Amino acid sequence: MAELVTGAKPIMARPRSHRGGGRNTRKYGHLWFVAPGLIFFVAFMIYPAIFAVYVSMTGWTGLGNDFPFVGFDNFIQALGTWPLYRAAINNGIMFICILLFQHTVGLFIAVQLNTKPKFMEFYRAILFMPVIISLIATGFIWTLMLSPHIGFINPVLKSIGLGFLAKNWLSDPNLALGTVIFVSCWNALGWSIIIYLAGMQNIPEELTQAAQIDGASAWQTFWRVTFPLLWPSFTSLTILTFIGSFRAFDVVYVLTGPIGSPAYRTDILGTLIYRTAFGGTGQTSVDIRMSLGIAMALIVFVVMLIIAAVLIRVLRSREVDA
Amino acid sequence: MKRRLLGTLAVAALLASTALNAIGQDKVVLTMWHNHPEWKDRVEAILAKFEAVNPTIDIQLEEIAGPNYQVRVNTALAAGEAPDLFMRGPGPETQAAAEAGYIVDLTDKLDISGLTDAATRASTIDGKVWSVPVLGSYTVGLYYHRKIFADNGITPPTTMDEFHAICKTLQEKGITPMIAPAQDGVIPAFLYMMLSSGILGPDGFDKIRTGEKKFTDPDVLEAAIALKDMYPCFQEGSLGTPYVEGKALFALGQGAMLEGGSADFAGFQETNPDIDVGVVPFPAAKGGKPSTVTGMEGAFAINAKSAHIDEAVKFLQFMLGKEAAQMVVDNITLTTTKGVLPSNNRVMAEMLTAAESRDVRVFYEFPQTGDVMAALQQNAGSLFIGELTPEQFAQKLQDAVKPAPL
Repeated sequence: MAELVTGAKPIMARPRSHRGGGRNTRKYGHLWFVAPGLIFFVAFMIYPAIFAVYVSMTGWTGLGNDFPFVGFDNFIQALGTWPLYRAAINNGIMFICILLFQHTVGLFIAVQLNTKPKFMEFYRAILFMPVIISLIATGFIWTLMLSPHIGFINPVLKSIGLGFLAKNWLSDPNLALGTVIFVSCWNALGWSIIIYLAGMQNIPEELTQAAQIDGASAWQTFWRVTFPLLWPSFTSLTILTFIGSFRAFDVVYVLTGPIGSPAYRTDILGTLIYRTAFGGTGQTSVDIRMSLGIAMALIVFVVMLIIAAVLIRVLRSREVDA
Repeated sequence: MKRRLLGTLAVAALLASTALNAIGQDKVVLTMWHNHPEWKDRVEAILAKFEAVNPTIDIQLEEIAGPNYQVRVNTALAAGEAPDLFMRGPGPETQAAAEAGYIVDLTDKLDISGLTDAATRASTIDGKVWSVPVLGSYTVGLYYHRKIFADNGITPPTTMDEFHAICKTLQEKGITPMIAPAQDGVIPAFLYMMLSSGILGPDGFDKIRTGEKKFTDPDVLEAAIALKDMYPCFQEGSLGTPYVEGKALFALGQGAMLEGGSADFAGFQETNPDIDVGVVPFPAAKGGKPSTVTGMEGAFAINAKSAHIDEAVKFLQFMLGKEAAQMVVDNITLTTTKGVLPSNNRVMAEMLTAAESRDVRVFYEFPQTGDVMAALQQNAGSLFIGELTPEQFAQKLQDAVKPAPL
């Protein structure tokens, strides 16, 4: 009261200017938040990639400071060696098998889980666990289990009367690749379940109910209504499987070693490149060719990029909107 | 009064920290990498002896399992993070590191007069010394379980025909004749080296290096044929058995024989302290003699970027001496120092006797045949399952030879 009477000027609220100053901050201020991640990305992804392209055009063996420029010789040599194609074929077989597995077994389990049985969270956790376990640990455990000497798969088969199925899983040339693919499928199953489950939970129930009212059987409902709406999941899963199977290394390296034994049956691009770049035969390092290994890796990268882009385009165009 | 007390305390603290700093600075820490985890305790015992005589030097040993060792060392060298001391294969390996400027020239720093002839030749490249074998040499022959042989009334084989007869006898009794972990190709490569050494001998092997003889010559081809014929005698799943598992299987008595080196015995004892084995030269293929192969258990080099080169030199000189060598031969493997004999190790003594038969240096210690080892490792599997004929296999090996004058 007293303040009003004495006539002191009341303090008017001044219009607040934006914190931190002018238009530049508003426009570019967000870049400060992106900066740490961007620096990390450039330092650990972009720079090494550029350096790799540079090294692939030299004759660096991996030892020493000799970087003689050789142009595209490494690429030509890589494209001319049969082992590269042999390994790529093994990767291709792996991709097809895992893909079929994911889209059948994975889809089936996801459909079952979608009916929300009791203990659904528990099943989901157990089925997803192989994805989380370190690939090296997975490889070691399976190596132990599959060993004809100290494993338990063969003794168990023998004890339940299926002894004729007890084979040399990792050393029989006809079975080794299949065994490795089996372990990879086991590892990757969780992905397909989670992706399909998420996809199914996005489908409005009214659609399936409408189909059933119209007299569609469960089979028809699934294939005519549910599955077309799951196409985005199908696409994501296919792309992920493609990238994953051509990038595979850890599990195969631990299961069958750096030379894709027996007799290169399980040699994939990952082990081939590792062996070329680092000399994975262990005893000597006189056969390492780092720059050739990098050239191979770059070739694989470009081919995968092209195939993935084509796959995405083809698959996306078939997506249906709900 | 308070100020004076504080002042005194401050000076005391300063003096104390300087003193502590000085003591801390006197201790030199050398890092050392080696590739035999199963020897760790025994090597530490030798290092402890050195540290007792040199209290200001502390050596930190890191043991890295064999197959991963080369990759780690090469990566560390390229990144500039290699340890002060590390093992390097003698010959082409050391030469590559020397040319890259990674290691110290030890020619005038070390006295290597105490080394055996083979070791001296292994350490010297073009008259310069870049690395020295200090943790022994290894000789490779045939290990066998004495009890299994005695129980079945068989004696160790001297020819491949005898070997196959033993193989048949043991297989009929359900005993695995031979353990051969072939997943990474190392053991088959050694098997071939011994079979071919039996036929070639040191002189014949020199001829391979100069190009006068080839692996595809009819007499040497017998080695490839003999290798292929051995496959049915291996344990089940040999192509998928990793090296380390194979050695453990043998130590536990799950196979009667194993091609192995003097360096493996310590590992067997770690797995099975009661192990009872004997050693003989490897049986001869057609036209050959029983033989062994010998290599250096890795020569040690000093990192050119090390901050303590003098201390590292001191350590290597100690390791070249008789005291360290005696500990090596008694507990670990054969040694490269002259005049040191195993005092109480029967297996090492048998190994030395075996080496007197016909001993040839391992292929990968020479630049002319350095790549042959890799060719052996990578193609043995295909030979075993019949994808390559012995002639094709021998041709692949010959393609990897780089003939040059000795």
